[in-house]
Amino acid sequence: MSHEKGDLLQGTLDMLVLKALQLEPMHGWGITERIEQWSESVLQLGQGTLYPALYRLERQGLIRSEWKVTENNRRARYYSLTRSGRRQFGDEIAQWRRVSRAVNLVLEASIE
Amino acid sequence: MAWIRDAWKWLRSVARRRALESGLDAELQFHIDRQTEKLVQSGMSPDQARRQALLKFGGVSSVTESTRDEIRPALVEDAIRDIQHGVRLLLRAPGFTAAALITLALGIGATSAIFSVVRTVMWAPLPYRDPDRLVAIWETNRGGTVRNVIAAANFVEWRERSRTLEHLGMVGGVSNAMVVNGQPDQVSGMLFSAAVFDALGVHPALGRAYTPEEDTGTSVMVLSHEFWQRRLGGRQDVLALTLTMNGQPRSVIGVMPPGFTVVGQQADFLIPYGQTTEQLRAVQGRGNSYALARLRDGVSFAQAADEMRRIYSDLEKENPQRNARRTVMVLRPQEQMVGDLRPAVTAMIGAVMLVLLVACVNVANLLLARSATREREVGMRTALGARRTRLVRQMLTESLVLAAAGGVVGLEIAALCHRGLLALVGDRIPIPRLEQLTLDLPVVAFAMLTSLATGILFGIVPALVSTSRASDALRDGGRHGGGRRLHRVLRTLVVVEVALSLVLLAGAGLLIRSFVKLQSVDPGFRAEGVLTAFVQLPATRYDTTEAGSLFDDSLSRIAGLPGAQRAAGASCLPVPFACIGTSFWRVDKPKPPDGQLESGHIRPVTPEFFKTLGIPQVAGRDFSASDTVASMPVAIVSQELVRRQFGDESPLGRRLRINFDHANGRNDVEWTVVGVVGNIRSTLDGPVRQTIFVPRTQRPGLGMQIFVRADADPMLLAPELRTIVRAMEPEAPIEIRTLEEVVGSSIARPRAMSILVGVFALVALALAAVGVYGVMAYSVRERTQEIGIRMALGASSSSVFRLVIGQALRLVAIGVATGLVAAGLLTRLLERLLFDVEPLDPWTFGGTALVLLAVAAIAAYLPARRGMRMAPVDALRTN
Repeated sequence: MSHEKGDLLQGTLDMLVLKALQLEPMHGWGITERIEQWSESVLQLGQGTLYPALYRLERQGLIRSEWKVTENNRRARYYSLTRSGRRQFGDEIAQWRRVSRAVNLVLEASIE
Repeated sequence: MAWIRDAWKWLRSVARRRALESGLDAELQFHIDRQTEKLVQSGMSPDQARRQALLKFGGVSSVTESTRDEIRPALVEDAIRDIQHGVRLLLRAPGFTAAALITLALGIGATSAIFSVVRTVMWAPLPYRDPDRLVAIWETNRGGTVRNVIAAANFVEWRERSRTLEHLGMVGGVSNAMVVNGQPDQVSGMLFSAAVFDALGVHPALGRAYTPEEDTGTSVMVLSHEFWQRRLGGRQDVLALTLTMNGQPRSVIGVMPPGFTVVGQQADFLIPYGQTTEQLRAVQGRGNSYALARLRDGVSFAQAADEMRRIYSDLEKENPQRNARRTVMVLRPQEQMVGDLRPAVTAMIGAVMLVLLVACVNVANLLLARSATREREVGMRTALGARRTRLVRQMLTESLVLAAAGGVVGLEIAALCHRGLLALVGDRIPIPRLEQLTLDLPVVAFAMLTSLATGILFGIVPALVSTSRASDALRDGGRHGGGRRLHRVLRTLVVVEVALSLVLLAGAGLLIRSFVKLQSVDPGFRAEGVLTAFVQLPATRYDTTEAGSLFDDSLSRIAGLPGAQRAAGASCLPVPFACIGTSFWRVDKPKPPDGQLESGHIRPVTPEFFKTLGIPQVAGRDFSASDTVASMPVAIVSQELVRRQFGDESPLGRRLRINFDHANGRNDVEWTVVGVVGNIRSTLDGPVRQTIFVPRTQRPGLGMQIFVRADADPMLLAPELRTIVRAMEPEAPIEIRTLEEVVGSSIARPRAMSILVGVFALVALALAAVGVYGVMAYSVRERTQEIGIRMALGASSSSVFRLVIGQALRLVAIGVATGLVAAGLLTRLLERLLFDVEPLDPWTFGGTALVLLAVAAIAAYLPARRGMRMAPVDALRTN
């Protein structure tokens, strides 16, 4: 794990994964793609961080996974949010908004 | 119910591990494939695309590994991994590991050894049938403070009157001459009433016990299993043997089971008292026996004790001369066995617990100081998603690995400590054999539990402290910093460690000082250069007159040996025996009522006894050959007796009566004082007793202790002494020792005690020094930058030195102050073990404090010197 120095703090990564799964079940690659897209290619997820995060979230019972066949007729593991995952996401997003607003206020405070 | 779910998940994940892991590979493969496809669609060649995808992915195996970490069943596998990790880390720091390991092994080893003894001595039920129904009965003075032997005549009355006790019998130690395999030997065994077999519920494993009828005779004996094995080679025909004891044949009718003791007292043989009830009733004195009995069904211990006290107060009225101002002491045998050992055992437990605590604090200290170097690791792992509980658990596992290793080494040390303890409790307590110790399950279990507890104890603080600082660690960019809290904990630990060591040192100091005082007590005679041996002649072949002339002959032959200055005899050793302890009174004064008579030690000795032992003659004359059984009975008294009985009067020519037993018919004899000698002590820690010496011719016996004063090393005379005694009586057993050895062994217990606690205290001191050194070294490393700035700004190196030393001494001073208060409260527990030293002895306390300060100063010196020698530029560059 020492190769992967995540650019994201752990809590943040978990939150982004949950967000990506909010709309529909997705496989790991899809999640990286979606986050990359949404962040206008700023957030390039280290996969060495993604899969541990997925397995961790699953173990915590926030997401669940099942093998499905993709549109290209290949087998892939799809992740989806559980009920407690949804609740957790709600809590985290609220917390995030509070903190980021606070940080922004500080950063944008005008200095006369 | 979260744990049920966790457990279920764990079970499921164990079962599905393979599926999951192959699933993971497939999943990652899928990911790479999709990435490749995407790159190909954007125009890359398939090869290039694949390489690019793999590159972006960053190493399949490392991803697999870290993901697998998340799905492995947490508890067991984490523990195994933590243990591996812990072992790796420990091996990487051999110096630290060795220090911690030795520290722990000492603590655990000492604790286990003490535990093995305490368990045996205090808790293990005695190996008798229903041991809690067993009582021991002694006599005592009114206050009930001194356990005293019983009068056989009283015993007979108890046996006839008691309704609450059954199988009431007497036991008493005895040392008899036996011929074993043709060699004469002095063997210690017990006089043992037939009823005691039933009282204890233990019967011979081989053969049979003696019957009440045989109890009045002298023709049988029962041997111990150990004697049978050790001395008779376990011969099968043992029950057909007839052994000669004190010149009298006795047939062996039984062998006791292995390990049999009479309330902790080993006996190589058991023999009947050999007296009828009427004979016992007629015995006037008190021998050296006590009684054992079993509570009748439905009778409580308290009821029996009440009844015995009632019977005794009747006996006191019926026979005031024998029983005035005395009562009975009913004890549980366990209490009897532990009784006077309890203060020593308690002190030992206290001492080892302190060592263990100091060890724990020290290892915590070492771990904590070391954990500073792991801040980065901890910080990184936290950032990468390790939860705090997980990190704490990992660090605790490391501590436990260390503690477990310490426990294994500790068991070896326990075996060593055990030897010291054996010396302490001697043969009075049945202690499992040394080789049994390591196999003894409870002890191993105890050592393991102790390791576990210590592992948690010393591991928890560093684990909590270092994980709580994890986020600081990264912010500091891995520099040692953010350590305010760490410093506070480290300092607290040093203070605690110093305080604990001080308590131990103070205790050891008191015991050692007390022992030194004990050793320098003047026994009143000069033991050095004197060789001594005891000879017992068999009653079957000698009467006392014959024995007397035989002894006289051999004494003059011994005195004539080249290298011998003079020789003398006495009925017993001056230490630790009294020969005869009884009451006496002045003939020219009214006899005080019974119970208010002064008592003293009566010692029958030969002429030249005082010169041989170097006891000063203060007034009058020595005994001489003209003091015979036919001449006027004479006595020589000690200065203490003169002081107490005569004051300023001259005792010479005055007469005394000595309360010898009526049976010998000499109670009416008046002993004329013809001399005064210096005081001698029968116990070094006891008071000086009034002593009356009488000529052996006028108070003869078949046993005599021989003393020879030699020109040089007295042991050189041993072979000739042995030859002369052999010539005297080929069957007489003989044990030759120097008188110094005799005196030394009388204080063997305080010596063992001060050595043991002293060793523990030294260990604690060494540990404290290591602790102070470790913390100071860490502190200097931490303050490198600060020191650099100070020096760059012009601080002299000596002021840096003072800064570091000052910091160390401040900490130690706080520890010393705390320790002094704690020691002041705790050393009172040692009071009963101390001789002529107050529990708050200012010299000991002051000295201890100084020693600790000095040791701490030395421990801080090295780091301080390093700080002083640091060049400012280097110091600043470190960061």
